[in-house]
Amino acid sequence: MDLSSNPSPSHPPTDDSSPPPEKRLASLSLRTSDLPPDFAPAGEIEEYGDDDDEEGYLTAVSRVGSISSSAAAWKDDVEDPDVAPPSPSSSGYAGERGTSLASSAGANDDPEPQPDDWPRDKKHLDEDDASASWRKRKKHFFILSNSGKPIYSRYGDEHKLAGFSATLQAIISFVENSGDHIKFVRAGKHQIVFLVKGPIYLVCISCTEESYEGLRGQLELMYGQMLLILTKSVNRCFEKNPKFDMAPLLGGTDTVFLSLIHAFSWNPATFLHAYTCLPLAQSTRQAASAVLQDIADSGVLFALLMCEHKVISLVGAQKATLHPDDIFLLANFILSSESFRTSESFSPICLPRYNSMAFLYAYVHFFDENTYLTLLTARSDAFYDLKDSRSRIQDVLLKANVLVEVQRSLRESALRIEDLPADPSSQSVSPPPQFSQDVHSQLLSSEMAIGGPAGLWHFVYKSIYLDQYVSSEFPLIISKPKQQKRLYKAYQKLYASMHDKATGPHKTQFRRDEDYVLFCWITQDFELYAAFNPLADKSQAIKVCNRVCQWIRDLENEIFVYGESTLSWHLGIEKP
Amino acid sequence: MAANAGNKIRNAKLVLLGDVGAGKSSLVLRFVKGQFVEFQESTIGAAFFSQTLAVNDETVKFEIWDTAGQERYHSLAPMYYRGAAAAIVVYDITNPASFTRAKKWVQELQAQGNSSTVVALAGNKADLLETRQVQIEEAKTYAQENGLFFMETSAKTAINVNDIFYEIAKRLIQGQPAQNPQAGMVLSQRPNERLVSSSSCCS
Repeated sequence: MDLSSNPSPSHPPTDDSSPPPEKRLASLSLRTSDLPPDFAPAGEIEEYGDDDDEEGYLTAVSRVGSISSSAAAWKDDVEDPDVAPPSPSSSGYAGERGTSLASSAGANDDPEPQPDDWPRDKKHLDEDDASASWRKRKKHFFILSNSGKPIYSRYGDEHKLAGFSATLQAIISFVENSGDHIKFVRAGKHQIVFLVKGPIYLVCISCTEESYEGLRGQLELMYGQMLLILTKSVNRCFEKNPKFDMAPLLGGTDTVFLSLIHAFSWNPATFLHAYTCLPLAQSTRQAASAVLQDIADSGVLFALLMCEHKVISLVGAQKATLHPDDIFLLANFILSSESFRTSESFSPICLPRYNSMAFLYAYVHFFDENTYLTLLTARSDAFYDLKDSRSRIQDVLLKANVLVEVQRSLRESALRIEDLPADPSSQSVSPPPQFSQDVHSQLLSSEMAIGGPAGLWHFVYKSIYLDQYVSSEFPLIISKPKQQKRLYKAYQKLYASMHDKATGPHKTQFRRDEDYVLFCWITQDFELYAAFNPLADKSQAIKVCNRVCQWIRDLENEIFVYGESTLSWHLGIEKP
Repeated sequence: MAANAGNKIRNAKLVLLGDVGAGKSSLVLRFVKGQFVEFQESTIGAAFFSQTLAVNDETVKFEIWDTAGQERYHSLAPMYYRGAAAAIVVYDITNPASFTRAKKWVQELQAQGNSSTVVALAGNKADLLETRQVQIEEAKTYAQENGLFFMETSAKTAINVNDIFYEIAKRLIQGQPAQNPQAGMVLSQRPNERLVSSSSCCS
């Protein structure tokens, strides 16, 4: 088990393996003229314009010299794009026309605040494609039908975007008419990514510099979320009537999609295709799993106990397995709909990876502010049975103190890099990941500026067998949402390049830029993504990554769910 | 269930139907939890509540299905109104389309439902008198013609909210759903009085 004594291939090499070159897929270039340099004379706006849809990213490690002068201009919180400095032009997608600079002014025009305080009503219904503010948004998502009818738009009123939707549809059918399929278009800084799913078209227009694969994955999740609400049988409506107006069928689900789009920038599940668990003592989790298993044996297809986006326990009926994307989409649907919190609910939903054609019925009940039970069944008349089951589960959870432990874990059990054990060869079982608040608060902020051991700032570890990941708590230096979002974007890029089908898959990558040192290590068992401070030493960093892996192994009984039914075949492999 | 000595408990399934945004959830939340929020989010699927009401020496335990008004859930409605002892069809007095939609729900209930189901018509948002679009007389006439009992309600101010449930409970106990003793209730202009009088029924 001692990783450091293992020979390769599980040992990370000590030399650089350079990242694969950006792969260029078949791309239809409309106009690649660079943006004119005359805008933003101060220079710093341009820097941030490139950056992302961040409103301003400041750390102890400056990216550019001018950062301090620009600091005042960038506020932490949401800014209304309408009060942002006006762009000299309002012609929208700058690159397409090569005349305007919309994107450079956009550093603060896509406000996205904290994960738990995101704007539920930021759809800006007053906007359409003629609005300057709409054109300046950094990341648009559209769903439309193959006849060009708008179904969903992240910003603006779908009805007013009929013309724009028709244009998107025309681009897709133009390429299809030549016997080809459009994947994406680059236009200046913008990338337009297309995903065709039968009669449904999904389009993302973004100048966030995310990879094609990343954006396409996001469109796949958008489609999955739509299926979760409607199932694939919605396609039949288009067979009957190609001009079918689907938008009303998604009525009242704006918050679901907004929350999903928001998750693209903070939830690693969206690109890792894995779920994460709430750390809990093994006995506590077993108490929850045992009662869920009882219920599952009595006719429930899946039973999930979750706390926010984290799984406490999940069980499935015989042979039924739940895909991590389905867990993510289901949790997003439930958590973004306030309706579920007011009472017990019974709603038809579809798990697109389980069966995209059929509805299941979901019984949802919140035990407290953030802990909720979801019971899924194929029976539409099962409500009262499920309600009884819930009451039995609730009794057990209360008796076994599970809900109290869940709240405690939520407060205390984060993995903190400064708690990384010093001795990697230790075989002793580490204490559970619970650390008193005062110990944590004693840590000096000066220490935090350079990070944990060897400058480690953060890591995400995905167990490939379990389809689960854990990530460390963000240190102070990455405490702001926009900093966290930026790190996740960097991880996403790393993920995309590691999994590049043309040049990969790769085993390791060590990348240093002005923001971080990023290290990725993929074996057949796990994927590790780690961020260090930009001055971190490579060999030290690699040693620390070994220690992280050992740490995760020591804690695995608390931080992962070993499902009785979902992945029982794995137990024989992993457990000695 | 019948453990309460000397007090009959009658379970009654009640379903709320109506257009998106008519105020079904708001009515239920006002009745069950005494709460009101200005921007109630869309209901997903259907939400289940229970609430008991004492009527004379009897107790009615309402099992309330607050259905989603969204189009995609329409086909599920029978699942909720099937076997229901009572239904409240809700419209928004400031939105004529919701009144039209309410009539369709009444039709559907009459066509498929049990004739003994007590059906109430609730003209909600009665506090918004200045933007009223559906006249009280029109709704009252419609209700009389169709054997419904009618009230204008306001989940926001609580006017007639407990009353409509209380009235349903009374009729369920009397077992006289078809009769229409006092078709149409005039909206009280003194909500406080109403509240006091109705608070006793909500135990």
